Amino acid sequence: MIQDNLLEKMVRTLLGLLTLLAIFILLVILGIVFGEGAPAIDWEFLTRASSNFGATGGILYQTAGTLLLMGGAVVVSLPVALGTALFQTEYLKSHRIKKLFRYLLYSLNGVPTILFGLVGYMVFGVALETGVSWLTGVLILAVMILPTLQVSFQQAVEALPEKYRDAGLALGLSPSAMIRSVIIPQSLFGIVTGVLLGLARAAGETAAIMFTATTFSGVLLPHSLRDPAPTLQTHILILAQEALNPQAVAHAWGAGLVLLSLTFLLIAGALFCRSRMRMESER
Amino acid sequence: MIGHFKFGGEKGLQMSRVFQWDLFRMGAFFTALISLGCVTGLFAFLVVQSVPILAQQKWNFLLGQDWWAGEVYGALPMIYGSLMVTGLALFLALPLALGGAVYTSEFLPAKRRLGVKALMELFAGVPGIIYGLLGVALLSGWVKDSFGLIDGNTILTAGLLLGIMILPTILTLSEDALNAVPGQYRDASLSLGLTKLQMITGAVIPEALPGIAGAIFLGMGRAMGETIAVMLVIGGLDKIADPWYDLFAPAQSIASKLGREAAEAIGTDLQWSALMALGLVLFLLVMFFTLMGHLLLKRAR
Repeated sequence: MIQDNLLEKMVRTLLGLLTLLAIFILLVILGIVFGEGAPAIDWEFLTRASSNFGATGGILYQTAGTLLLMGGAVVVSLPVALGTALFQTEYLKSHRIKKLFRYLLYSLNGVPTILFGLVGYMVFGVALETGVSWLTGVLILAVMILPTLQVSFQQAVEALPEKYRDAGLALGLSPSAMIRSVIIPQSLFGIVTGVLLGLARAAGETAAIMFTATTFSGVLLPHSLRDPAPTLQTHILILAQEALNPQAVAHAWGAGLVLLSLTFLLIAGALFCRSRMRMESER
Repeated sequence: MIGHFKFGGEKGLQMSRVFQWDLFRMGAFFTALISLGCVTGLFAFLVVQSVPILAQQKWNFLLGQDWWAGEVYGALPMIYGSLMVTGLALFLALPLALGGAVYTSEFLPAKRRLGVKALMELFAGVPGIIYGLLGVALLSGWVKDSFGLIDGNTILTAGLLLGIMILPTILTLSEDALNAVPGQYRDASLSLGLTKLQMITGAVIPEALPGIAGAIFLGMGRAMGETIAVMLVIGGLDKIADPWYDLFAPAQSIASKLGREAAEAIGTDLQWSALMALGLVLFLLVMFFTLMGHLLLKRAR
């Protein structure tokens, strides 16, 4: 018995140390990005155009480009994701086809993002003649975040308490009326969760857009759908490779901190919404 | 039988609704088709575009060790690179991720547990380019100095970065699997007089094993598909190290090869086709891991 106790204590301590080490490593990374990035950030850095290939000036247009791309991607992806989720929960009766859908979406979620870039460029950029442009990037990212949005929406709809549906049915609502007045309003937190996660995923993506939606210098804002846009992600990518220029690397860290803060904010918002959703569905 | 008759009327009503294609149904159906088209289209596209290179090189594409754009295309060094960095990342991440998962699920009070989970989910979303920047600006220099190398861009550097990258994902997903083990399993073991440790190793972990394996497979898929972070620190040499287990050698993964060469290959015939075939290999590898992961995770639930 005493031996058991000792063994249990040792294992417990070991596991606790492993957990602490995991958390410590992640916090060190956060500390590094913050420590290296914060000195580069001031009002001018956030509100000025970059100059000298990004080594001086600010990141105003890169930030705007990232926001434009991720916003556009969600606008395109949202109706498709919502429709797909509702098709499965409201209209589709066959369990086999439901299963097929689920596995296809899981596959789409696992596809390495660089492949979205390659294939997306050939399909949108070349076949639809959108070229290296903001629009190509938006379409590629929209496909990429589709499963993120769709899975979130579907979970939210499936978590709806049965009594809401029963009440709708008792009122004799048709499926479409049920969707409009019961399902969408009641699963709003889930929809917002999905949108925030999708935005975060699009904001953090580099590989899929680096040769399809951006050029590295000389662009400010896209003036039409067919212009390329600068982004924070590709800005960091270029600056990171100029290891000999300390000014450029400092700016890369500054842009990195801005990008990391953006994704953290979005994910934290999503976590908050998801906990609200849980509370609602348990009520 | 009674039930059958009772619901007969309702069923008739539903039958008439099947043909009532209102706007919502059409919209939902159409968008669902788009979603299906995305996956199948992507796969079909990769297959069709890899035909030219596979027709020309046959099995030599997979087994060839040389890649000279314009002359010969052999994918083996890239497949080797992908497997090496993914394997190394798993080796480094697993002790922390699994130890952390068991501790978080079994020993931490509910509030702290949620804190750890939230932290892991935040970090699972850190953009790859941030890890890339860390790798270029700090880690590769650190690897170079601590091991006395000429160049810090090695398999080890890429594996280290990827290990940190997939750690939060594997931790939080395996924790889900452990935490989903029903309370009655725990109660039954404790009532048999087992200690908590015996309960964990004898009842909780075996029950959660498919889910833990699923989490690991998903982490593998993510590591193998990561492009930016790996591309910046792996060294970019299309060669199998000599000896093959030399972690201090530069290499190339499939994803990093695609990231580096895609821009210059656009518009070429054979080189583009070779990249697409590489993409197909990556797609199939990652798909295998991802679907295995989901299958096992689902079984755990």
